[in-house]
Amino acid sequence: MQIQYLHWNAAHGWRRADALREPPQLVLYFGSREQLLDGQRYRELRGLHPDSHIVGCSTGGQIHGDDIRDDEVVAVALRFAHTQVRLVQEVVETRDASRACGARLARQVLAADLAGLFVLSDGLAVNGGELLAGLTEVLGPDLPVTGGLAGDGTRFEQTIVGADAEPSLNRVAAIAFYGASLRFAHGCAGGWDVFGPRRKVTKALGSVVVELDGEPPLDLYTRYLGEEEAEAMPGSGLAFPLRIHDEAEPNRQIVRSVFAVDRDARTLTFAADIPEGCTAQLMRANFDSLAAGAGEAGRQARSALSDGVDGDKLAILVSCTGRRRVMGQRTQDELDAVAAELGEDIVRIGFYSYGEFAPPAASGRCELHNQTMTVTVIGEAAA
Amino acid sequence: MTTHRLLARQIRQATDESGQVDLTRLGELVSAAYEESDRDRRRTDRAIKLMIDELEQTHKRAEQDLLRAREFLDSIIENIPIAVFAKDAKDSRYVLLNRAGEEYYGMPREAMLGKTPAEIFPEHIARLVNEQDRDVVESGTPLFLEGHLLDVGGKGRDRLVNSRKLLIRDGAGAPQYLVGVIEDVTERITNEARISHLAHHDALTDLPNRSAFNAALGERLELAQEAATSFAVLSLDLDRFKEVNDVFGHPVGDMLMRAVADRLAAEADGAFVARIGGDEFMILMPDHVSREDVQALAERLIETIGKELEVDDYLLHVGLSVGIAFYPDDGVNAATLLANADSALYRAKREGRGRVRFFESEMDQELRDRRLLQHDLRQALEQNQFVVYFQPQARIDGEVIGFEALLRWNHPTRVFVPPDRFVPLAEENGLIVEIGEWVLREACREAASWPRPLQVAVNLSPVQFQAGDLERSIHQILLETGLTPTRLEVEITEGVLIGDFTGALHLLRRLKALGIRIAMDDFGTGYSSLSYLQSFPFDKIKIDRGFISNLEASPQSAEIVRAVLSLAHALNIPVIAEGVETEAQRAFLAREACEEMQGYLVGRPDLIERYLGLVGMTVERRHYA
Repeated sequence: MQIQYLHWNAAHGWRRADALREPPQLVLYFGSREQLLDGQRYRELRGLHPDSHIVGCSTGGQIHGDDIRDDEVVAVALRFAHTQVRLVQEVVETRDASRACGARLARQVLAADLAGLFVLSDGLAVNGGELLAGLTEVLGPDLPVTGGLAGDGTRFEQTIVGADAEPSLNRVAAIAFYGASLRFAHGCAGGWDVFGPRRKVTKALGSVVVELDGEPPLDLYTRYLGEEEAEAMPGSGLAFPLRIHDEAEPNRQIVRSVFAVDRDARTLTFAADIPEGCTAQLMRANFDSLAAGAGEAGRQARSALSDGVDGDKLAILVSCTGRRRVMGQRTQDELDAVAAELGEDIVRIGFYSYGEFAPPAASGRCELHNQTMTVTVIGEAAA
Repeated sequence: MTTHRLLARQIRQATDESGQVDLTRLGELVSAAYEESDRDRRRTDRAIKLMIDELEQTHKRAEQDLLRAREFLDSIIENIPIAVFAKDAKDSRYVLLNRAGEEYYGMPREAMLGKTPAEIFPEHIARLVNEQDRDVVESGTPLFLEGHLLDVGGKGRDRLVNSRKLLIRDGAGAPQYLVGVIEDVTERITNEARISHLAHHDALTDLPNRSAFNAALGERLELAQEAATSFAVLSLDLDRFKEVNDVFGHPVGDMLMRAVADRLAAEADGAFVARIGGDEFMILMPDHVSREDVQALAERLIETIGKELEVDDYLLHVGLSVGIAFYPDDGVNAATLLANADSALYRAKREGRGRVRFFESEMDQELRDRRLLQHDLRQALEQNQFVVYFQPQARIDGEVIGFEALLRWNHPTRVFVPPDRFVPLAEENGLIVEIGEWVLREACREAASWPRPLQVAVNLSPVQFQAGDLERSIHQILLETGLTPTRLEVEITEGVLIGDFTGALHLLRRLKALGIRIAMDDFGTGYSSLSYLQSFPFDKIKIDRGFISNLEASPQSAEIVRAVLSLAHALNIPVIAEGVETEAQRAFLAREACEEMQGYLVGRPDLIERYLGLVGMTVERRHYA
């Protein structure tokens, strides 16, 4: 596999490293909603790579190497030696259709030599948990699925995804990799700790929590954030994700962060469904524990990557906007931690998302995460 | 000095391509980092403070919940009717006692809490309690004592208690408390004993019942087989007890039964006397009592029961029949022994009651025959083996005025079964209801076909009066056959009126109201017929054949016949004499103004075909009608 790194900014336009010897099969790009919305970046990339699949999404910050590049669009062009790449996409008209959409995507890519799936989805209009449920329903629990939900800074207004077209709303794209040569390693970890009493989700409707211990959840968050910071909900609410414990699935470690606020009803919407009757506990983290969590994700991915990989290796980091919000200028610490674990020989790009897809080491079954660093490493074995 | 990683990054970000550091930009970055740090610290402080508050509240709530749970449990412990105590495992000082415990020990808890057994109980009890406590603490195993007598406290010494004591350890596993519960089980144990007694004794006489007898017999058989002993089983049945019950009512019957049971038990002292049914008893004799001694006992029993008994101001008179079987001569298992004692009893009763009979092997055969006959009877109805014979009844001058319908059984293999052999059996098993109805229907159907409107007399069994709806079935048969009710005469014996006298009388009145005539059969053989004559206007009296056949030989019989006739004439009831076989008998009856007669002199019972001329049919008419 060969990788060409490209990046764009308003001052100098596209810049790229040495051209690939052969045209790439796949181009991945990440940028802010403003940078991508008019479709110009896509058209420019299409001009550069007329025959490649070009896939990208809006983010809460682009990652290249150890840096966060808010003012740049980052991209990689990938040339695989043996691996086949297929791109499929669906439009999710309503949140309720997320599961069916996942199942449709999976049916399109299903094949005996399917080796991995990387999914980019609208981050607000799609129920990420249900989307994954639909995917694994068809693909089975063992096929690795990674990726994430597109972001929109800390504004939570609109997210866009483009797949061989200008980016648009309500879109889900899935890149399927086929063949025995592909190496598809992954890791995920958070670094959050639970604190305070366990609370009962006394009333919930899908992903909307109406009552925690009989109290509107916004009141609880307002108390913990202070009036001033609570004004900045849902962004400021990312500081306190919820650890969900469902009696029906005691071994699942689920972390959910706030996505939307209804100030009149004083309810909060989370990234995925929260079952009524389950137990919820607030979580918090400090800079060091979050960086250590990111390092753990890198370590997992690195150790899962088998030896004998030939050519370039790409790491796609999908981390949570909530982590960035909490860490501020210290966010780079988590990128440093991942880099330290992965080593210098792996090209790293990625983005800050509204939700991350990766199978946790414990269960191996693909999950939607919040407030988590996920690392997907892609490479090819020698023929 | 190493530069902080963040500061190094900020300097790098504030440095342009020429290596120039933009101090303003650097200042902004550093200031923003301080802001972030402050915000994070504030958020953390706030979260910690809130968390502490929340945890405190949760703790308080949990404490309250615990307190409520404790109160809940306390009120349960306080109110359960079982004594509960707890003691310090170290020195056995009481730390808890509930209300039932106060009652049990007979002192208020203030007198016990905080004190050791030695400070509360007499020395010998305190020593025992302490020993038990040490055992439980040292071994860690609970102590159970069941059904022991109360040794301390205020409830009296005749109470039985179950007690248990167990060790409670603290979080570190060291002995902390001894918890004890003491349950007063006196009532339960007494009840269990009472229930067990009830299960094995007859409630009326308090004698052992059938199941107790069977158990005793089973045990005795086992022992006898091992020890090669012999013993007797007596089967007893009261004579005429049913009549007492019928005439004087059940309360008097019950009192009589108790008196009889007392007499039997007293007389058969040393034997196992059981009441196994209504008026049936069994006696299991001790081993090796001789035949003569058993017989002597049985005779004493008959004598003592035969004596008049005064019950509730009535002088009552019942009798006793006894059958005896011996182990091992008459049977080596319970079923055979009992069956053979019953066979002997049956024989005793049949031979006139008030007797003792030992089992003999032919009795067994007899009983089997009887059962076979009962079995055959059931088939007889289904297979049309019954036939109705007719015997003419005439005025004393010889003019035939009617027929009596008589049941005969044409059994395919048996020679001839006389009615007095099978009718009692049919009465015993209730088949008589169906058979009687069949006879009635046949007789009525036949009579309805006669050109001459002659009488037809049909016998009714007392059982038909007690079971089924006799009135309805007679009514139905009359409608079916079209026989005029006034041509039907039913003959009843006094047996119909013994028992439910009032009920039978009502029924007779209703039958008479239909126009049916009622005749009193077998007059003179019973002992209360005269009083019955007073209570019901019979249409006819039938003098028993026994008196007529003896007319010439016995002057007493002639006197009795004369007396019956004059009594009947005084009451204005016509009389028919049964069993008239000779002209001399007829002449005597004619002289004494007896109205009617029946017997071989007039005609034998036979198929109606023999009497077609008398009923007004020619043979041809009968054939072709």
